[in-house]
Amino acid sequence: MRQVAAGDTGGLETLYDRYHAMAYALALRITTETGLAEDVVQDSFLGVWRNAARYAEPKGSVRGWLLAIVRHRAIDAIRRQRVGVALGDQSDDALPASLTIPDIWPEVAGRLDAEQVRQALTALPPAQREVIELAYFDGLTQREIASHTNAPLGTVKSRMRLGLVALRQQLVGATDGRADMLALGAAASAGKKGLV
Amino acid sequence: MAMTCDRVRELASGFVLGALDPDEMAAVRDHLDHCRKPHQELAELGGILPYLAVAPEPVEPPTWLRGSVMAAVKADLHARPPAAKPAERRVLEPVAATTAASASPALPEATVISLHAALRSRNIRAVAWITRVAAAVAVIALAGYAFAVQGDLNKAKQDQSHLAAVMNVIGQSDTRTVSLIDNEGKGANGFAALRPNGHIIVNLNSLAVTHGDQIYMVWLTGANNVPVKVGAFTVGDDGKGWVEVQNVSTSASMWITVCREPNSNVTRPTGPTILSGTIAL
Repeated sequence: MRQVAAGDTGGLETLYDRYHAMAYALALRITTETGLAEDVVQDSFLGVWRNAARYAEPKGSVRGWLLAIVRHRAIDAIRRQRVGVALGDQSDDALPASLTIPDIWPEVAGRLDAEQVRQALTALPPAQREVIELAYFDGLTQREIASHTNAPLGTVKSRMRLGLVALRQQLVGATDGRADMLALGAAASAGKKGLV
Repeated sequence: MAMTCDRVRELASGFVLGALDPDEMAAVRDHLDHCRKPHQELAELGGILPYLAVAPEPVEPPTWLRGSVMAAVKADLHARPPAAKPAERRVLEPVAATTAASASPALPEATVISLHAALRSRNIRAVAWITRVAAAVAVIALAGYAFAVQGDLNKAKQDQSHLAAVMNVIGQSDTRTVSLIDNEGKGANGFAALRPNGHIIVNLNSLAVTHGDQIYMVWLTGANNVPVKVGAFTVGDDGKGWVEVQNVSTSASMWITVCREPNSNVTRPTGPTILSGTIAL
């Protein structure tokens, strides 16, 4: 990333060669259109190139940063498409929350692979997985998810919270069994209320 | 209503997924900007997101995308401020060169030397004949030279005129510019500048030469998703293209595409998209 920030195009070539398939897969999963996904990937790498100096290593991996940009732009692209506006240059001033929150478990990340993430997602109760996927991959708000799934807004919020907590427990458990890392007591009580 | 720490904790999952309503997102951000208490729950839940991103099975994009990405990056590098000065020199240098050339006696001097040599001949008729031929050659050469100089001067004046137009538009506070992305990965580059009053300039370089009826067409697509012709041009050996139009209809976000079309009669983009970009007014 230092190379890229210094204006070395070779550094970006290395990044592209390493992460292009992941970036394209994520863009394609979100946009579901190859043309739009290609635009998103190109736009994302250009965004990385232009904003490399803003990359903060302590906040997460290069891969995480890049993929967060891909997701941000892909969501933006499908939202624009919904209202009939073309994809284009985007400001990076309003980066998604995931880019501005420190990644506190890099030690976990180092031992996770994509298959474990997929297994963790699959292991979630379907209703929880659905709200997380609708938010993460379709860019829907909780209110939109409630409308989309015909579920009360409060239920959507609870499913989202429980799903994320459970997913984190799954992922942490997949690496070192420390499933008790979370101190989010709401999960158990909400589960008892039958919200899952 | 002021956001409390407890409320932020309640909204944490929606916040990290960007799934709150815009006003709630803003309120949480505002709270975090001012709150001195740690909000560990945001970091813990937010830390999941980078791993969700790798959940889809990797998919290979088309191989041309790499070239397209790198061409866009190189175009961006080329368009950065330090590169702007050489671009300005490129426009101004022909003026200096042609001005110096017009003052140069090189070609007339050569003609005079040949005339002197002829006059030294004892054969007056031959001298007269040579003189006439030399004069004719000199006239033709000078005419060609003047034509070439005039062509260079016209080109230089055109470049200067374009530069002045660009400086004028870019100098306006409400002008928005975009560096256009080379979609073919063949090195084409350029930019567009658009003002809310509909004044648009599109300046392009390194385009492939057009043949026959071929033209480059600049299309502008606004909120209604209907591409509208902005202007067309042909491209010669210099690879340059230029369109300046007043009073195009604008919207908040405009999608600009430059397509190579088979002729100027097309009513919608049909040829390959050479360059593209978006301007948000």
